[in-house]
Amino acid sequence: MIRKWDVALIVSLLILSCIPAALFWASGQAASANGTHAIIYVNGKKYKTIPLSEHHGTDTLTIRTSSGYNTILIRDEEIAIIDADCPDQVCVHEGFLKNPGQTSVCLPHKVMVEVQANDASDPDIIRAR
Amino acid sequence: MNKTFHLIILSLFVAQSLVLYIVEGMLPVPFIAPGAKLGLANLITVIALYALPRKRDVALILLLRIILSTAFGGGINAFFYSVSGAALSLGSMLVFQKCGKFSLIGVSAAGGIFHNFGQVLVACFIVENMKIMLYLPVLAVAGTGTGILIGITAMVTLKHLQKLPLYKRIQQTC
Repeated sequence: MIRKWDVALIVSLLILSCIPAALFWASGQAASANGTHAIIYVNGKKYKTIPLSEHHGTDTLTIRTSSGYNTILIRDEEIAIIDADCPDQVCVHEGFLKNPGQTSVCLPHKVMVEVQANDASDPDIIRAR
Repeated sequence: MNKTFHLIILSLFVAQSLVLYIVEGMLPVPFIAPGAKLGLANLITVIALYALPRKRDVALILLLRIILSTAFGGGINAFFYSVSGAALSLGSMLVFQKCGKFSLIGVSAAGGIFHNFGQVLVACFIVENMKIMLYLPVLAVAGTGTGILIGITAMVTLKHLQKLPLYKRIQQTC
């Protein structure tokens, strides 16, 4: 049956699996003071950057690719993929994203939404004063 | 004669794992995380790992199963996910089995974790973003759970397989 070496192996592998997440989280926490923005990637390329921390009200945006559509809803400081015609609906299940480092991915359409912390010198962001 | 026996045994393993793969596709699975599933077909891989004396045969069974399951359902993307997951999973299981310190359950759980790790790597490559790694802890926990379940099932199956005269013949001639 299960031996103590098994437990040691499983625990060490579980800890190892948390390392990338911990690194992303730590780098996100350090930089979140400047507010956040969301980046939408299509096919691995940057498609659109949306400022989040100064955003008010709701906006929707539909991305159409050759494989289908993804509807993105921006509600105040949160962003979510609310509808898609992909078979697995993983991105829709992900729900609203708010904090730096959170992502929602639609693998079938190669669409990805990512929340990032604002870098003070990021030229892509136009800030509302 | 021995060559035919060898061929039939390998074919049986491939057929069983393909059937498990197709049956698994019909089962409703609660949504935990993208890519998390039972991995029933891995049961055959684990059993083959312990029942067949030559490890080359295990790799062959796994590769044939992936090629066939790509043909039966799942597209070319699913093929890449399967191959990278299977390669890492089988590699790690071989290492941990050879090491000798771990029981079948530990080996199988490690295989489950490494399988998900391989899939995350391919997902990172396809979407061209390392942030997919954020799913790794959830997937590792899911992989541990299914890996332990598969390990227990394989252990019980092997215990009963060993009573068959056929099992001795596999050990001697394959």
